[in-house]
Amino acid sequence: MRAARLLLGNDTRRLLRSPLLVAGLVLYPLVIALLVGLVVRYAGERPRVGLVDRAALPRTIVIGERPFDLKRLFEEAAEVELVRMSEERATRDLETGRVLAVLTIPKDFSVKLRRLSESPRIVLETGEGALGSRVAEKIRALVYAVNLKLQRAYIEANLGYVDLLRRGGTGKIGRERLTVIGLRQAREELEALARSSDPDVAEPARELAAFIRQVEGAVNQVDDFLRATANPIELRTEAQAGRTWALSAQVQAYALALALAFVALLLGAAAITAEREERTLGRLVRGLVSLGGLVAEKVVLVAAVGTLVAAVLSLGFGLVVETADVTGGQPWERLPLLLAGLAFGAACFGALGVLAGTLARDAGAAMLLALLVGLPLALAGIVPEGASAMTDWLRGLAPFASVVELASAALYDRDPWAAVGQEIVRLLVLTLVFASLARLTVRRLLT
Amino acid sequence: MSGTPVLAARGVERRFGRRAALLPTDLELRPGELVALVGPNGAGKSTLLAVLAGALPPSGGRVERAEPPPLVGWVPQRPALYGHLSALENLLLFARLQSLEEPASAAEGMLELMGLPAGSQPAAELSVGNQQRLNLGLGLLGDPGVLLLDEPTASLDPPQRRRLWESLSERRKSGCAVLVATHVLEEVMGLASRVVVLVEGRVVRAGRPGEVAAEMGELGAS
Repeated sequence: MRAARLLLGNDTRRLLRSPLLVAGLVLYPLVIALLVGLVVRYAGERPRVGLVDRAALPRTIVIGERPFDLKRLFEEAAEVELVRMSEERATRDLETGRVLAVLTIPKDFSVKLRRLSESPRIVLETGEGALGSRVAEKIRALVYAVNLKLQRAYIEANLGYVDLLRRGGTGKIGRERLTVIGLRQAREELEALARSSDPDVAEPARELAAFIRQVEGAVNQVDDFLRATANPIELRTEAQAGRTWALSAQVQAYALALALAFVALLLGAAAITAEREERTLGRLVRGLVSLGGLVAEKVVLVAAVGTLVAAVLSLGFGLVVETADVTGGQPWERLPLLLAGLAFGAACFGALGVLAGTLARDAGAAMLLALLVGLPLALAGIVPEGASAMTDWLRGLAPFASVVELASAALYDRDPWAAVGQEIVRLLVLTLVFASLARLTVRRLLT
Repeated sequence: MSGTPVLAARGVERRFGRRAALLPTDLELRPGELVALVGPNGAGKSTLLAVLAGALPPSGGRVERAEPPPLVGWVPQRPALYGHLSALENLLLFARLQSLEEPASAAEGMLELMGLPAGSQPAAELSVGNQQRLNLGLGLLGDPGVLLLDEPTASLDPPQRRRLWESLSERRKSGCAVLVATHVLEEVMGLASRVVVLVEGRVVRAGRPGEVAAEMGELGAS
């Protein structure tokens, strides 16, 4: 234990005395954090879409006697940044990629909208490439949101007409202003006639009054029918205990796992092979430190350095997210839990790196082997679970998926303890397996 | 030289894969004797020393130590030290790892004895000669009862070589058993109590220096 502590101090000194390495260990996570921040910021950014307004939309439009602030409606619901422009400029900007799509509002848009008789159409042109589908998706969301608001206005307008028929009075139906007696008053008058002593008057009046009561009953339900047919399926969102999804969460978890994987794998491989390169291993194994102690010391070293790298990355990412005002940014209070969990991840990657070092023996070959091992394991970790039996098998063997899951849970699960605990146990088991294998193969470095 | 061996190889062999670097070998080291292990490059001298030092496990046979086990100092052929540490830091680290009672004074004493620079210059930046002296100093830490030296004079200039042999003679007088691997027999002729000749992993001659030299001379003449 004492010897391992002395060696840990020695390795720490080795790291600190290499300015290039220290700079790399600080700058690397910062650069990664900046890149991740930019990715997340870009992902959260509204795509720029050209708006060609052939209808010369007024600021407000009246639908069923209700004024609508069209500009605000589009701005509030906008999943995209709409930029008004001429048709020529829109065509040019779409060709040059200055806008990702062009939304054209046809001339008859306002008229059709006011009439409530025919759905007005808007036309979306997208550029080629992967971003086109993303914009189309955003515009669909925009149209859905606007439709929802207009639909409510239409329903309210239609219900106003129904109410006029029910209660009677003066009002507008479409463009026409009307004064109607109303179902209620018609029924009351017919009921009065039904009490007439003249059977020729009373009998038809009773029948008509009965019919109007039925109509009234049906009309009273129009309200619910209209709302129900407008939204056959209504989505109600309730916040429950679960993961708060945000793109930043996934990206940050992958970035943390990737950065940690490469730093820890390479450092683990380098730390053990350095003892061979400097020929000090022979001195150490002569009773100064046990082989198991030596492997454990390297794993602890990597865990400590890896945690520091993860801390710098998380802080850097957090700052980038804060300054860029990205939605779903980092919950700072979860940082201690995240770093505690990542220490186990770093130890696991470190043990795998040490194993790679003992197998490859030579420092250069060990680095290459660590990279060759790390890359497919990382990719297997990115492939969704259940995609293929082989990647599932690799995911189970490699710590990458566990670190991603741990980071995601630690940062964004409402109740992270069970998931974090489960992944820590998994990482501990893997660490023990890798370290035990490294303990068996470390003697290779003596020859 | 009489007495109980402080360190002995009993049928020790070492293989690297299919290649046998050392065939079953017996060798005994007694207190106060200096044994020269001579042989051409690749004869298995370094392997035997590493196995005796405990730096390399034998593939067969066993290494025996007297009771209580003596401290064995090992000086490998190529410097085995931490390049990022200064000479003093290297000595201090290994003194601590060896759990010496006063590691700081032991390290400073060795630094002075070896005439090494006391500055903070990393060992990797020391001259080859100084690196070799530091290598020697690390092997001599703790005043070992057995010294295993692998080509210790390589990279040393003549005055440094002379000082080394003088130092070894003094240690020998105080009961330290010394095994020196070299491929230059003449270098140890006046100091060695026994010479063991190793060729292709096998002991081919063993005896007093004069006898072995004569035999080898005859062989060379014939």
